[in-house]
Amino acid sequence: MNGPLAPSVMAGRPLLDIADVSVTFGNTRVLKNVSFQIMPGEIVGIAGESGSGKSTICRAAMGLLPSTAEVTGEVCFDDQALQGLGEAEWMKLRGRDMAMIFQNPASHLNPLQKVGKQIAQPMIRHLGLSGSEARERAVKLLEDVGIREPAMRAKSYPHELSGGMKQRVMIAAAISCAPRLLIADEPTTALDVTVQAKILELLKDLNRQRGLAIALISHDLGVLADICSRIIVMRHGQIVEQGEAGQIIDAPQHPYTRLLVDSQPGRKQFKAGWAQTEETPLLQVEGLRVLFPAKRDIVDIFRNRKAMPFAALDGVDLAVSAGETVGIVGESGSGKSTLARTIIRQNRAASGTVKLGGRPIERLAGRELLELRRRVQMVFQNPYDSLNPRMTALETIAEPIWRHGMADRREALNQASKLLDMVELPAALGERKPRQLSGGQCQRVGIARALALQPQVLIADEITSALDVTTQAQILELLARLRRERALTLIYISHDLSVVSSFCQRVYVFRSGRIVEQGAAAKVLTNPQEAYTQELVASLHRLPGHVVERENIER
Amino acid sequence: MSIEAVPASDPIKQAAVVLPWSIVVAGSIVGLWIILALFAPVVAPYDPTAVDIANALKAPSVAHWFGTDQVGRDVLSRVIHGARIDLLMCLAGVLPPLLIGTTVGLLSGYYGGTVDTLLMRLYDLTAAFPFFVLVLAIVGVLGPGLLNFFIALAVVGWVTYARLVRAEVMAIRDSEYVQAAQCLGYSDRVVLLRHVLPNAFGPVVAYAVSDAVLVMLAGASFGFLGMGAQPPLAEWGVMISDGSRYIRQAWWICTFPGLAAISLGLGLAFLGDGLGQLRRGQVSA
Amino acid sequence: MQIVLRRIIQLIFVLAGICIVTFLLVHMVPGDPARVIAGDRASPETIEAIRQRFGLDRPLWQQFVTYAGNLFAGDIGQSMRYKRPVVALIGQYIWPTLFLTGYVICLAVPPSVALAIASARRPGSLADQLIRCIGIAGMAIPVFWLGIMMSRFFGVGLGWFPVSGYGKTFADHLHHLFLPALSTAIWMVPVLVQSLRAALIEKAAADFVVAARAQGAGEREIFWRTVLPNAMLPTLNLFGVLVAFLIGGTIIVETVYAVPGLGTLMVNSLLARDYQVVQGLTLMFAVTTVAVTFVVDLVSAAIDPRARL
Repeated sequence: MNGPLAPSVMAGRPLLDIADVSVTFGNTRVLKNVSFQIMPGEIVGIAGESGSGKSTICRAAMGLLPSTAEVTGEVCFDDQALQGLGEAEWMKLRGRDMAMIFQNPASHLNPLQKVGKQIAQPMIRHLGLSGSEARERAVKLLEDVGIREPAMRAKSYPHELSGGMKQRVMIAAAISCAPRLLIADEPTTALDVTVQAKILELLKDLNRQRGLAIALISHDLGVLADICSRIIVMRHGQIVEQGEAGQIIDAPQHPYTRLLVDSQPGRKQFKAGWAQTEETPLLQVEGLRVLFPAKRDIVDIFRNRKAMPFAALDGVDLAVSAGETVGIVGESGSGKSTLARTIIRQNRAASGTVKLGGRPIERLAGRELLELRRRVQMVFQNPYDSLNPRMTALETIAEPIWRHGMADRREALNQASKLLDMVELPAALGERKPRQLSGGQCQRVGIARALALQPQVLIADEITSALDVTTQAQILELLARLRRERALTLIYISHDLSVVSSFCQRVYVFRSGRIVEQGAAAKVLTNPQEAYTQELVASLHRLPGHVVERENIER
Repeated sequence: MSIEAVPASDPIKQAAVVLPWSIVVAGSIVGLWIILALFAPVVAPYDPTAVDIANALKAPSVAHWFGTDQVGRDVLSRVIHGARIDLLMCLAGVLPPLLIGTTVGLLSGYYGGTVDTLLMRLYDLTAAFPFFVLVLAIVGVLGPGLLNFFIALAVVGWVTYARLVRAEVMAIRDSEYVQAAQCLGYSDRVVLLRHVLPNAFGPVVAYAVSDAVLVMLAGASFGFLGMGAQPPLAEWGVMISDGSRYIRQAWWICTFPGLAAISLGLGLAFLGDGLGQLRRGQVSA
Repeated sequence: MQIVLRRIIQLIFVLAGICIVTFLLVHMVPGDPARVIAGDRASPETIEAIRQRFGLDRPLWQQFVTYAGNLFAGDIGQSMRYKRPVVALIGQYIWPTLFLTGYVICLAVPPSVALAIASARRPGSLADQLIRCIGIAGMAIPVFWLGIMMSRFFGVGLGWFPVSGYGKTFADHLHHLFLPALSTAIWMVPVLVQSLRAALIEKAAADFVVAARAQGAGEREIFWRTVLPNAMLPTLNLFGVLVAFLIGGTIIVETVYAVPGLGTLMVNSLLARDYQVVQGLTLMFAVTTVAVTFVVDLVSAAIDPRARL
């Protein structure tokens, strides 16, 4: 399960030697005395949450920091000191001996150039190939990184490719001159999980076949544990711990590493105080179809082309009992958010119905609609975008209370501060506006606002996907406590099967607007029936020891 | 998806922030003109319309700091009184289009539909005409004068505001805090006025200030062409037009109103720019 | 080629809209349209003749059909003042304006590009701050005042340039129109610099620039092959707007320097209430702007693969 590295490589001279490097921007020190080495042919993981400086150290190694950054310490690549290199010397090194790929492949490709040309450029530059030779090789490289019909794809522009394909193109350009070190900065974070697994597989192959050393930067310890031989854990610009991957995961020394490991999704099984009841389900979705009209412009009208509406949801049936926590899993575009939006009446159903307590919600209006609003609430994905930037936390939480006439404005503020306390936020934060809060704090405010109306059903749509893992673990902890205390019915939507299965009793797996599999969470995770679910489960990067722990729970 | 804050783009942001004193200086220039305009009768040394043929075309002196014009009126007094007209042009030329445009843009951006489509076609159509030409043609047809100038500006100008607000509103409409507000059962009025409008208004204010520069210069140009404020009125463009005929013997008649227009224009332009920077700085902070 | 078809259809709609607006323009005039078209001093017979000729006693839509029909036949009206077809007038007055416009572009574009590049190469430097301030300040200069001042100083004062007219030969044109072109250019440069600078800085900070750097591309190569082409797109789209601006600018400058061009014709016709000419010119200016925008759209579609869908 651990990385593919043979220990013998560890001996010998380091390929990249970073000694005592600090980086300062103006008055803020973003890196403090960082030292580590990368040996030829090994895969080293650099783990850390946002602001840990993991990207900065790699950009420093490539000389890619802006000129305002002040770098001290020593960086050596293959015994060559990189400090004070001129532009010409850097040009010889970058793309030739050390290459880099980035988190968001879409924005890192030049939109105006064909991808074949973009892959060819480093080879023309460094290997002195002619344009046509380089383009031929680019096609070969596209094939090597697993792109079908490479000759045709080489003539595509970036916007014609999917996210995963764009990242493969970036990788092809990076390995085109056979570099010895590849720095991969969160290369799979912007991609769907199944695509992520394939890209990581590709990186592993490149390492094995070409002896390419890789520095893999990721926030996801699971990913790192899967393919790295060594892991470096960073926090607040410092290295807190580094060592063999197995040792970091199984026997972390530093308390932060331990926290990070424990916060990994699926590490903890949340207890749910839920008993099956015989009565009719609280929420029922029957044969739900939601269509989005295709845009038809004037030319289409002239050519008499029919608009083909796109079915975001295509015949979905599901039921949620009172007090139950149900997970909805799917990749982007699977229709899981459309479902949430339809339940809160932001979308209209083309056919089918959503029933709350046996009553269809589609026709509700006036008083009854307000009643629905009070019973069903939602927490949104993006912590900053989900709060009005001009209102303080307390105002945001209090607004629904007085607008629904449940109290006057003064009393509403009182209740709001109680809610603030309930989501474990200090009272002082109540006067702050969203941009003065951290992502996790914003998300807590969002939860408090949703609970202000004391709803029965809470829909959580990807509420932790924009947060760091440790914060995610805390938010899940909070949500688990709240559902217990308030007997909430929860619909938990996520792309992350491991989170969903640790947090929910039942799971529905969505794909392209349909439910492909459903059942008890544990069963879906351990014994998936459908091919797609199996693929999802296989692409999970579970930390070692995790499965054993789970099986214990099952018994 | 945890996106690490990579400080790579920071230097650009820092560079874009103009020194804060620019906003102070620009603000004081505009403020000074407003005060001069408000207290013009007190501040101005002479009656701006008092004809004194004996003292016509006198060069700047202690008695007449900015000299006198072809009929002996004091140029300084006329420049100060002109500030009233030119500031009024900024206000009356900007506010009506702003109010109409914001209302239309807010509604059409939020609700979409047929009204929205119509609005966009209307925008395309208005954008097809050079701004100056269309305003000129409308004023010409309605007849020269300040009131008709304002009417023409309102007819042509609101569309730009509507489009600006519409674009902002459409982005905000899809934001999660508006979805949350809808989900909490707030009425459309509450969502629009309390959650959408305050967040959509920033760019409008910044644009309105730079639009004021445009309107003031257009107003002066119209005065110059004889299509805006009419002659006995002390308006900078009219004064420049009058003075241009005597430019050979009396440079001061058209130099000073021009400098006045430039200083007010500069004040407004840097104020608008500063406000824009401030807003962007706030958003990115 | 979908985009071309789509743009052409849009173009037809906008052109139709322009016809309606210019038609309504004259009908917006308070009072009897026949009297308005004939002018203040017209005799009752003339007014009646006009009423007959334009069918002003018929319903509005019928008048519009006549108007649109005339447009198709290339007849955009008759000048009351000059007693000549508007088309002929435009044919006579258009050359100084075209010359001036070309002149302004030649004078304004090279320094704008140079300044914008100088500014964007090192954002935040003293030179950049200065150029940026010039860009903002340029907005505030009244172009007619600048024209008067320059004609006073370089024309009347130093006697270097004539202060009015257009001249006869090409060299004469260059000489006569130098000051008008320069005043318009001084007014246009800041607008151009501001937008080009913003585009350059935005693209220079783009992710794909970092990626190119990480692949070993030099700064020079990055600038010319990556940043500049990407920054061209937004600037190109600005071109249509700029032409509209330029038309407004030349109207004023032509009046200041008494250049016998379309701007002067427009202002004189307005002051003389020669509405048919105003109508015809407004139509022509609008069609020009739309045509430029159309060409710009086609060019940017040719450059930008994303616009070709």
